[in-house]
Amino acid sequence: MDVKSPSKNLDPVLLALTQNRLDHISHQMGWVMVRTARSPIFSQAHDFSCFIAGPTGEVVSQADGIPIHTGSGGFGVRAILRDFGDELADGDVYLLNDPWEAGGNHLPDWVIARPIFVGGEMVGLTCNRAHQSDIGGGAAGAYNPAATDAWSEGVRLPVLKLVEAGTIRKDLWKLLMLNTRTPHLQDGDLRAMLGSTRIGMERVAALVEELGVKTAMDYFAGVLDHADRSVRAEIAKLPDGIYEAEDRSDNDCFEIRDVTVRVKLTIKGDNITVDFTGTDDQILGFKNSSLGNTYSAIFTALASFLDPHLPHNEGAFRCVDVIAPEGTIVNANEGAPTTMCTVFFAHEIIHAVWKSLAQADPERGCAGWAKNVFGISVGKEKSGHPFVFYHGAAAAGSGAVEGRDGFNQIGHVCTLGGLTMPNVEVYEQLYPVIFRRQEFRIDAAGYGKYRGGSGCDYEVDILTPATHSFRGEGLDYETGYGINGGGNGAPGRMHLQHSNGQTEGAPKFGLRRTDAVRFITQSPGGGGYGLPLERDPGSVLRDWRDGIISESVMKNIYGVVAASDGKSVNIAETEDLRAKLRESKA
Amino acid sequence: MSITIQSPPWRVGVDVGGTFTDLVIADSEGRTEVFKVPSVPADPGEGVINALATACAALDQSTKKFLGDCQFFLHGSTVATNTLLEGKGATVGLLTTTGFRDSLEARRGLRKDPWDHRTPYPPVLVPRYLRQPVGGRIDAKGSEIEPLELDDVRSACRVFRAEGVESIAVCLLNSFANNSHEKAVAALLHEESGCEWVSVSSDIVPIMGEYERTSTTAVNAYVMPRVASYLTALQERLIRMGLKTKLLMLQSNGGAASLDQLIRQPVNLLLSGPSAGVGAMNHLAAGIGENNLVSMEIGGTSCDVMLMHEGRVAITDSLSVNEYDLVTPSVDIHTVGAGGGTISGLDGAGLMYAGPEGAGARPGPAAYGQGGTRPTVTDAHLVLGRMRPGPYAGGSVSLDMSLAEKAIDKEIADPAGISRVDAAAGLIRIVEQNLLHAVERISIQRGYNPGRFMLIACGGAGPMHGASVGRKLGARAVYVPRQAGAFCAIGMQHANVRRDFVHVVMRELNEEVIDVISEGYKKLEGQALDALKNEGFEKQDTEFGYELDLHYEGQQWDVRVVLDPDANPDDIRDAFEGEYDRQFGHTNPDSRINIAKLRVVGIGKLPALEDLKFDAIDEAVTPIETRPVYSESAGEFLDTPVYRGADLYSGHSFLGPAIVEEVTTTILVGPGDHVSVDELNNYIVTFETED
Repeated sequence: MDVKSPSKNLDPVLLALTQNRLDHISHQMGWVMVRTARSPIFSQAHDFSCFIAGPTGEVVSQADGIPIHTGSGGFGVRAILRDFGDELADGDVYLLNDPWEAGGNHLPDWVIARPIFVGGEMVGLTCNRAHQSDIGGGAAGAYNPAATDAWSEGVRLPVLKLVEAGTIRKDLWKLLMLNTRTPHLQDGDLRAMLGSTRIGMERVAALVEELGVKTAMDYFAGVLDHADRSVRAEIAKLPDGIYEAEDRSDNDCFEIRDVTVRVKLTIKGDNITVDFTGTDDQILGFKNSSLGNTYSAIFTALASFLDPHLPHNEGAFRCVDVIAPEGTIVNANEGAPTTMCTVFFAHEIIHAVWKSLAQADPERGCAGWAKNVFGISVGKEKSGHPFVFYHGAAAAGSGAVEGRDGFNQIGHVCTLGGLTMPNVEVYEQLYPVIFRRQEFRIDAAGYGKYRGGSGCDYEVDILTPATHSFRGEGLDYETGYGINGGGNGAPGRMHLQHSNGQTEGAPKFGLRRTDAVRFITQSPGGGGYGLPLERDPGSVLRDWRDGIISESVMKNIYGVVAASDGKSVNIAETEDLRAKLRESKA
Repeated sequence: MSITIQSPPWRVGVDVGGTFTDLVIADSEGRTEVFKVPSVPADPGEGVINALATACAALDQSTKKFLGDCQFFLHGSTVATNTLLEGKGATVGLLTTTGFRDSLEARRGLRKDPWDHRTPYPPVLVPRYLRQPVGGRIDAKGSEIEPLELDDVRSACRVFRAEGVESIAVCLLNSFANNSHEKAVAALLHEESGCEWVSVSSDIVPIMGEYERTSTTAVNAYVMPRVASYLTALQERLIRMGLKTKLLMLQSNGGAASLDQLIRQPVNLLLSGPSAGVGAMNHLAAGIGENNLVSMEIGGTSCDVMLMHEGRVAITDSLSVNEYDLVTPSVDIHTVGAGGGTISGLDGAGLMYAGPEGAGARPGPAAYGQGGTRPTVTDAHLVLGRMRPGPYAGGSVSLDMSLAEKAIDKEIADPAGISRVDAAAGLIRIVEQNLLHAVERISIQRGYNPGRFMLIACGGAGPMHGASVGRKLGARAVYVPRQAGAFCAIGMQHANVRRDFVHVVMRELNEEVIDVISEGYKKLEGQALDALKNEGFEKQDTEFGYELDLHYEGQQWDVRVVLDPDANPDDIRDAFEGEYDRQFGHTNPDSRINIAKLRVVGIGKLPALEDLKFDAIDEAVTPIETRPVYSESAGEFLDTPVYRGADLYSGHSFLGPAIVEEVTTTILVGPGDHVSVDELNNYIVTFETED
């Protein structure tokens, strides 16, 4: 049987039923994972993805999962086929994480993959990629900001046969448990991953049996072909051309210096090439991206730019060629530290791809999402109980798009805001903290026809001595870029106020130990879309009444004059002022 | 029309839906009769009055006499939901703790589909300039760390007056732990604001989490003036017309409460209507002796799936209406876009889809001839011979076969290069796959095996798909209530009065906390008893349920257990770990357990409506006709007998393929499916088993 043969004359009904069923199965795997895993990160933050690959390793369904996990699952599956292709057997399960050896994205994300057999034939694999609570390495919790190589980040796994003929390999299991600080969590989480792939395997096998292997393979191929056609149709709408853009970070985790992702995007017919030639060399710190992560970041940027409802299987990626030179921050050499890459440099890659796509189709352009500034405070409660407090509520503003202002306070772009913020009341129950302020900033949103997200003023008292780990990516420079005439969002700022009243600027990275201290943060604003003089005057007035912009910005940037009652727009004066401002600009 | 109901006192249930207003009357013996009239969206009360007029005409008596003989009048209304969906609520002013006025708009970053980043949030219900800060601070333990600044309230009132605020919401930080500041603010507002409508978060929903509490309180304030004036006017009108009892409203929790009790908490009405399905499920469970049920109620645009496990339909705290996040006790309903009006077609790359978009009441399916040109489920049923052309839904529309054929040809069959029948059959298969997935989801996600449940097919369009979905699901049987098309209005006949009360604890589970629990329960019991007394219940007609929300230390979501109020810590741990294990497949024996909340559910028992049991009759039944109907399993049209529901009685049984045409629904069963009418005069479909 040639499973690679192109699908033709497929029944559109059966094709739809097959695609829906595969997506339903990958969701179902996710429900099982949420219900059975140990670490709260899975049920609360859904930091895992379930997907199904066909027999050649192409991902046919990834309905479940976060954006930065999407688009790269096939790398790991193909590594399994490369290493064990001839000896895959019913009842085997594979485990991997290494970005270079095994097609992983970064070390904390482990992939469990289970081949599916029907009538003696391997018809695909069900997979679960999930963030582990601890993987050894130089720091607890899988993130080691001091890491300068992969070995200090955690254990590197090639493709391992974790389960052989239905039996877990005890030696291997022990090895894994010895290499984590939280074996009680990891044991449960790995078993949950095994369970979810087993449920998925049973369901896919049932589907394939129902259809017959030959028909099923034709329709799996058809599902991929449909995604391919869908994305090509979207790409073909973009004008042919070469579009270049870049996005930068201002640090390498140890020093302040620019590190830049450079993209040359070529659109030709219904094909697209994303060429990173010219991107900066890999850095010392842990933001270097693996190739798999770079693919996911590209996929996140493309799908969110084109149409988020396009299928998320690997067929969607066939029209995309990626050139990512080795040894750069988008394809770091073996052994480079990469743990942070799913957030940064994923952020810069998404931005650079968005910027180049916006040149091809300005109307759909996405303004930049500001980078987050928050860090982590670790200490002990008065009871002696340790706590780890993420300043996650100090979230940044997102960029605007046509028809939507930026979200004022939202999670990372690599999840498209999918990770949400806990309530202040919950934080105050769980940690020795008292919040003093959490409100939208004034005049920090990038100006525009649609303005950026405002960012927030965030003040919190840490009531005990603590060690703070800083992640100030969005501090001191503008990270939420404006587009189509929109303005950049304001940079973030962060200060520490000590109990004696003294205030000092917070560092961008590194560790600092303090007594009880107040964190005073202004999270950065997102970028604006379009010219501010084209913003609906009613919306400008509302922003002014809401305290999102000052009176001078309302007048001088947006050219809007409020009527004397302060509740409506003085239309005549606004038209005059806007005409004047346009003239002075021209 | 022959009437089966005979003698008062009557019980009336009225469910106002988007398309139809269903009125169900039960008589003193428990017989029921359904009256269906078109809804009047511009004035839903008009639909209620029209339904009454229709019923009274059929009973040949005056409305005054009829209403005077009503013992209970229950009402499910979408007025709160529509006020929210249409954005037609009040101008609301919100008072928040200084420094925290934006949680309502920041929404904790919650979005339905992260991938879809181009869609903005729904409009914030209170603009920032009407969110006014009040100084003063309560900490997480409930201690005051800064005194309340009442002058801030006064200056906010000046702003509210100048801005024409009609309704005020109050939500201060940590008020769940200590509501003294909120109470003081409310007292001042009543004296000085001049505003009739005040919603205070610790009254509405005293739970932890300022975003959800603020959002819930703001929605309450937003819908309150309109809901109150509409429902009060309706009650007054009914009383003028002769009603001698209070209007009972169906709440989101599936129970009833009188209008006077609810008028200041209309946020509890957002699922009024669909939630009444719980009453129907409870009643069916008792009647048929099955307590593991999944209902699939399909109407014109969507399908509501509800699950009963061991006699309990889960009540959840969280409800999202048009992405407005609410914490209000609500029946756990999973809704998917699959109904009679669900639209199908081909996407840009040749893949067929069905839903979630629907054609609504207007234009509706292509066959309605109201301008719809896109094929829907109803059009496919027509092409497949499952529905007949001509007058439909009591004659309010007429189904035109040629329009259905045209829509399916143009949008699916021709571009896909398949036959019209294959296109129509495919459309139904895709929709039924969605239904199957919806049922699997609500069961699997909550830790249940769907194969262990009996499927209840209801809603006007449900019984057309029940047998097919039940078979694919591996359900033991499919049950079709004879009045499936008025499931919720029937359910109201079986509702009790129900009030939920919650108290936040946030303490570790140990011996010392037992006093805290019993004190908390005592407080909640008092509240529940007062509320039920106000509803006119004596203690002997009440029942209390005691629930605990628990979690392992560090976790932020709760598992709910139902327990005796005097359970000791070991009992509590056992109950928690049992439920945790059922849901998550493991326990953490070394972990500490926290008690998050206590709940008391107060039930005021309305007199139960007796089931009428029918003796089986031994008499053959003949179909009214035999016509070709497409069978999915056969892949072709089969000569299919069509029965008239009125001809089928307890004891009748036959094998599919068959169609049963009932007053409020049509039942379709496939070849080999076994249909029988049980002693309750409802239908049971079973499948031949392989062994």
